Amino acid sequence: MRVLSLALIALLLLPHRADAYLEFTISVAGQSTAFTWKKTPVRWFATDRGVPGVTASEFQAAVARAFTAWESVPSASIAFQFVGFTGAEPFDEDGVPVLGFQNEPDLDRVLGVTGFVVDTVTGEIVESDVFFNSAFPWSTSPSGDPTRFDLQSVATHEIGHFIGLGHSALGETEVRPEGGRRVLATGAVMFPISFGRGVTLDRELQPDDIAGVSDLYPDASFRKETGVARGRVVRNGAGVMGAHVVAFNPRTGSLIGGFTLNTDGEFQIAGLTPGPHVIRVEPLDDGDVGSFFAGRNPIELNFQATFHDRLFVAPAGGVGERFTVTVRPK
Amino acid sequence: MTRFAVLLFLALGAPADAQTDPPLHRVEFEVGGGILGGASLGSADANLRANATTKQPYRLFSTASRISSRPAVHARIGYAFNRRFAIEGGGVFTRPVVRTSVSGDVEGAPALTVDERIDQYFVEASILVSFDEIRLGRRTVPFLAGGAGYLRQLHEGLTLIEEGHFYHLGGGLKHWLFARDRGFVRAAGLRADARVYLLLSGMSFDERPRPHGAASGSFFLAF
Repeated sequence: MRVLSLALIALLLLPHRADAYLEFTISVAGQSTAFTWKKTPVRWFATDRGVPGVTASEFQAAVARAFTAWESVPSASIAFQFVGFTGAEPFDEDGVPVLGFQNEPDLDRVLGVTGFVVDTVTGEIVESDVFFNSAFPWSTSPSGDPTRFDLQSVATHEIGHFIGLGHSALGETEVRPEGGRRVLATGAVMFPISFGRGVTLDRELQPDDIAGVSDLYPDASFRKETGVARGRVVRNGAGVMGAHVVAFNPRTGSLIGGFTLNTDGEFQIAGLTPGPHVIRVEPLDDGDVGSFFAGRNPIELNFQATFHDRLFVAPAGGVGERFTVTVRPK
Repeated sequence: MTRFAVLLFLALGAPADAQTDPPLHRVEFEVGGGILGGASLGSADANLRANATTKQPYRLFSTASRISSRPAVHARIGYAFNRRFAIEGGGVFTRPVVRTSVSGDVEGAPALTVDERIDQYFVEASILVSFDEIRLGRRTVPFLAGGAGYLRQLHEGLTLIEEGHFYHLGGGLKHWLFARDRGFVRAAGLRADARVYLLLSGMSFDERPRPHGAASGSFFLAF
């Protein structure tokens, strides 16, 4: 079995982030394949060490609640099982998923990191570990502590990576004068930048997160009851790589995003509730592009946010009519 | 429609002043057309969760939609139990335009208005109450009608947008062109309806029932 270790760069940069779900993929037999856990329940261990303000058992309980958020998605079929406490470190390649605190003061903008060991023949996740950077202050207070980061919220984000989700770009940020970005708003737990200290909003999954986990681990009804949008984003007739495409359902209020993932500007968004959607395309200008695309072709940022000039009607099951959104340079 | 009705009546060869009342128990078949009124489908904001203590959502952009008035065609079949009560069932088809305005984008995306034509089918069942005792002239009878039905909306004839149900209530006039006491066709006439459809589901961007006014005219035969 060939394995590939990926230190995934969890990018909870303190002050900012972007929008829409993305899946981690590798090339298997020449095809891009999302990597996923193939056997459930996924068993996990918690380290037996706490940090100031959070005991080991409080840590385990908060992380278990975060796992439950993902496990409870009705249209997804993944499950988790806490096995016990361990003295092992999170990033030991021991075939055992471990989550725990680790002191990484040099990562002064990273709250948590998720790493993988992946079978490059099958795309199966063999191991995934998460560390939470104990260089930052943490809290498990039910209502949040304004001086500390909410462990459950950050754990919910990292567990999104743990199961194979990348970052969503559903969010708006502003640049801080002192550097970095501040989150103004987000529409997904998987946005790469944390809300900040004391905020507990990311304990609850959003439609974009739910679509993502359901697409990776669909239950029997998901493909039949939701629709897929496929299309292209073009500028001057050429495909736009890395555009952020968002589908808004006015009836449910849900926002679900995707990205153009090749130089033809093609995208796909799964998990749409049947019915009309407004389609909006924007450049990835609310976060570090590297938070979304590592080692890909150059990401195009020079175009205006644009609405598609028709409504997209998602079918109940299957793919809706393909469409093209034409954007203009800024 | 009136011209068509009169021609058909002549073809049946019955004198306009012949006879008296239509049969007490009868089956009626009617076809016609009219207008189904438009309505607001509501408005909706695309909101993100704001990083603030105010609990106010962060609006990415706004949408507002309206369904247009359009001509509609219908066909119904009914049965009169007596001079007072009848039941009927039928279908209505119309192709309205859904106009959606998108505006107020936080990053300055140009506002736009999107028009989408949809196919709309109503399948309905109704009870008619006729007021024979207050005829207008010799042959025109007022009635009230109410009922419920199933709604199906398709985009470009293929993709199901919504399905749901509705109630309707209204009234109108039936005018008998002729009636006779023998033959296969026992009577014929014209009918005018005004009603309100209250759509409890179907394409809507808020959860409120949507009233649609409707007016129609029909030609009917009684057997």
